[in-house]
Amino acid sequence: MARTKGYPAALDKKLQDTKFYLDDSNPEFTKNVKAISRTTAHMCYQCGTCTGSCPSAPRSSYRIRLFMRRAVLGLENEALTDPDLWLCTTCYSCADRCPRDIIPTDVIMSMRNLAFKRDIIPVNFLKTVQAIYSSGHGVPNNDVNRAAREKLGLTRDPPTTHMYPEYIKGIQKILDHYKLKANADRIVKEREG
Amino acid sequence: MVEKKKTTTKKTETKKQDTKKVAPVKQEGKKQAKAAAGSTTEQKARVGVFICHCGTNIAGSMDLTAVEAYAKTIPNVAYVDNYKYMCSMPGQAVINKAINDNKLTGVVVAACSPRLHEPTFRTATKEGGLNPFRFEMANIREQNSWVHMHDQEGSTDKAKDAIRIAVAKAALLQDLFPKAVPVEKAAMVVGAGVAGMQAALDLSAAGIKTYLVESDASIGGRMSQLDKTFPTLDCSQCILTPKMVDVGREPLIELFTWSEVHEVEGYIGNFDVTIRKKARGVISMAEGEARGIVGGGCNGCGDCEGVCPVVKPNEFEMGMKPRKAIYINHPQVVPLLYTIDFNSCVKCGLCVTICGEKKAIDLEAKDEFVKVKVGTAILATGYELFPIEKKAEWGYKKFENVITGLEFERLICASGPTGGHLVRPSDGQTPKKVGFVLCAGSRDNTGIGKPYCSRFCCMYSLKHAHQIIEKIPGCTPYLFYMDIRSFGKAYEEFYYRIQDEGAKFIRGRVANILEDPKTKSLHVMTDDTLLNRPIDLEMDLVVLASAVQPSADTNRTRKLFGVSCSMDGWLLEAHPKLNPCGTTTAGVFLAGVCQGPKDIPDTVASAEGAASAASIPIHKGEVELEPYFATCIAEKCAGCGMCVNLCPYSALALVKKDGRTVMEVTEAKCKGCGTCGGFCPGGAIWMNHFATPQIVAQIDAFLLGGEQ
Ligand SMILES: Cc1cc2nc3c(=O)[nH]c(=O)nc-3n(C[C@H](O)[C@H](O)[C@H](O)COP(=O)(O)OP(=O)(O)OC[C@H]3O[C@@H](n4cnc5c(N)ncnc54)[C@H](O)[C@@H]3O)c2cc1C
Ligand code: SF4
Ligand code: SF4
Ligand code: SF4
Ligand code: SF4
Repeated sequence: MARTKGYPAALDKKLQDTKFYLDDSNPEFTKNVKAISRTTAHMCYQCGTCTGSCPSAPRSSYRIRLFMRRAVLGLENEALTDPDLWLCTTCYSCADRCPRDIIPTDVIMSMRNLAFKRDIIPVNFLKTVQAIYSSGHGVPNNDVNRAAREKLGLTRDPPTTHMYPEYIKGIQKILDHYKLKANADRIVKEREG
Repeated sequence: MVEKKKTTTKKTETKKQDTKKVAPVKQEGKKQAKAAAGSTTEQKARVGVFICHCGTNIAGSMDLTAVEAYAKTIPNVAYVDNYKYMCSMPGQAVINKAINDNKLTGVVVAACSPRLHEPTFRTATKEGGLNPFRFEMANIREQNSWVHMHDQEGSTDKAKDAIRIAVAKAALLQDLFPKAVPVEKAAMVVGAGVAGMQAALDLSAAGIKTYLVESDASIGGRMSQLDKTFPTLDCSQCILTPKMVDVGREPLIELFTWSEVHEVEGYIGNFDVTIRKKARGVISMAEGEARGIVGGGCNGCGDCEGVCPVVKPNEFEMGMKPRKAIYINHPQVVPLLYTIDFNSCVKCGLCVTICGEKKAIDLEAKDEFVKVKVGTAILATGYELFPIEKKAEWGYKKFENVITGLEFERLICASGPTGGHLVRPSDGQTPKKVGFVLCAGSRDNTGIGKPYCSRFCCMYSLKHAHQIIEKIPGCTPYLFYMDIRSFGKAYEEFYYRIQDEGAKFIRGRVANILEDPKTKSLHVMTDDTLLNRPIDLEMDLVVLASAVQPSADTNRTRKLFGVSCSMDGWLLEAHPKLNPCGTTTAGVFLAGVCQGPKDIPDTVASAEGAASAASIPIHKGEVELEPYFATCIAEKCAGCGMCVNLCPYSALALVKKDGRTVMEVTEAKCKGCGTCGGFCPGGAIWMNHFATPQIVAQIDAFLLGGEQ
């Protein structure tokens, strides 16, 4: 604090050394991302088509191209600890247009997987896990939707676990196999008490 | 490896019993060789083996001492040596000396590939006093040390195999004498863009009669559609028309426009080419004279055009100007000769009437075929734009104000459809902001666009930016780019100049373009990658720097000449660095963009290179043909004639000889493919240098294997 001599504390952050040093990069990270995403994540040439296509970019600080750069350079910590990682809508617009035929969406998904292994994940994603566990749906049906469906001549509930709740058990079995629910419960408890 | 050794010993045992069976074959081979070549010496084979280290290229991957020791044990080997660089002068001297000291009858060099150094070692063999065809190469580099770099034991074994097999053949090689055939003192150039024109002008300047075949109605190619040319900004037509006129006037150039190559037969020195002159419906003044019509033939007056009722889009103006069914592309065409588009002509006859006594128009014209003989040929078939509407995100053919670079050239050109006023196609308004989408469809690995860089679009987009700034005060060009590739002489300086003039450069590949349905203006969406911000810039007009691809008829034409192409269709040069104008078909060369995207300076340089290369065989007057042709062993030939139809080069015929019908080979036509030799049921066909006993000996050497 003394260094800033009365300037706002934010200046301290601005005075940090932000150089990219070789030991910031972990080549294993690039390999893992490729293996999990099954796309050529290391081939990004930073053209910007993905960010230019991304519906999230104009509405947030999320920049898919920046995550692609981190994948290429193996900047593991920077990628996994950036909260923007969770702002992709998984619309796949970037994947449609990437001239290098990379699937950036899947790169994001692989990074989320790796982050989750380190318990880095926003609580709302965990609540989705819990919702799927109990109902089979990330976004369960509600009365507004039911009314809209009726108006369109559809059944009030879709032919999913909503209509056949006996299949929820199957979904729970899958989630349990990957210990997804247990981990979600544990982290939510740690964060929310 | 262990397993291999086992089978090897087993094979060696069987070999002992087999030797007797093999031997007669070998002897028969020698007899046949004698019959065929009539010059083989009866002496026992004495083969010299020369092993090259290629620095560490070969020596670093295998145990050459073991290979050398092994080579000494191979039957018929009389001498073994090794050298650091066998292809060097001292290396060749080793071969020369050994041939003389050891009375060698055959030479094996174990080194790189024949493609690289077979000519070198053939010369060395010849200088040692042997016939050059007594040389055989064992490839222990490309097919061995380079691919088995980390398997010392395996590569050593493989090198032993390769040498044993080569020795087996070398022991049976015979003297061969290449045939020299005369070269026709004429050349053909296919495609009359700037490349084809330059090549034809150079060839004719060197005194060579040149047939220039162009599929369009006029010569000039793409360059005649351009307004100005980077980086010097000379007017394209101004520098091109003098060349076009020269081509039209040069007596040694015979011009075939509205024509294409129909059939090609023969080989270097003697290509017989059939040209199809497509029905044009209009005869030239020369043709008029030949038909005895006094003062007849088309004089370019254009009266016909005035009366013709059929209106079509003019392709030269990228469809932005109308033309009639009887038309010329533009006023400077060479030859100045009208053409009827018979796909749209309604045969009303109005043009015939107005043309009157000149009798230039023949509505019943048919395609004509002309046969010419040439010694060498150059392909210069150029390029066309990739259909950029396939990349749907940029809206070409969907949004009126999205155009291509070639359309821009016509719109900014004083002789173009708008008299040089750049306007928005939607409303004829002058744009104030023009976006340029670089790499449109190039550098694209999605399978829709092209993976390569189209090479001239960066530079012409800079040129377009300059033209806008110069012609339209207050209009700003925005270039959306990934990299600006300004690699040529004075190109980087041109980039500097255009930025200084006020062009805006945004580093981001355009993600998509949206149209405002009311104003027809365009929203260009991308990421300013340097600011790290998504952007949405509203442009009045967008120009796509579309990728280029080989022109439509390139594939058919190249096949006629036996020329290969790469995966993306560009014609394949003999060597990308050391022989960029040659092809693997002797006597056929490449000029300009048909070999790969090139700007005009590079195109002209390549054309001059091709012309020079194509003139060499013609000036030499004769070429040597590889003596690998088939020969008929008359005593064995039953005269069944089945081989005659199999030969893909029509080199075989049945003839009467001593009262019998036997097959005869026209050696100059035979390419040594071996189709007939492999087929003949009576074994009557002897393939020089690839004779059955030679090949059988190689197979035996491989199968019998082991220490000899
Ligand atoms: C928009 C644009 C702007 C450009 N601006 C510049 C510039 O400013 N400066 C510069 O250096 N370069 C420029 N270029 C590049 C330039 O156009 C090429 O370098 C040049 O035209 C190549 O000439 P070419 O003779 O190889 O091919 P082409 O010009 O394509 O000529 C090929 C010829 O062969 C004919 N042909 C095709 N197939 C056959 C066949 N099967 N049989 C018979 N004939 C056939 C065609 O009709 C054509 O006449 C530009 C290109 C574009 C697209
Ligand atoms: S579109 Fe593809 S190549 Fe371009 S920046 Fe995004 S991921 Fe990289
Ligand atoms: S998938 Fe994600 S990163 Fe890609 S465009 Fe959609 S929101 Fe953006
Ligand atoms: S005959 Fe054909 S080319 Fe001649 S005027 Fe009629 S439509 Fe036109
Ligand atoms: S020349 Fe420039 S615009 Fe054209 S493909 Fe290459 S990099 Fe892209």
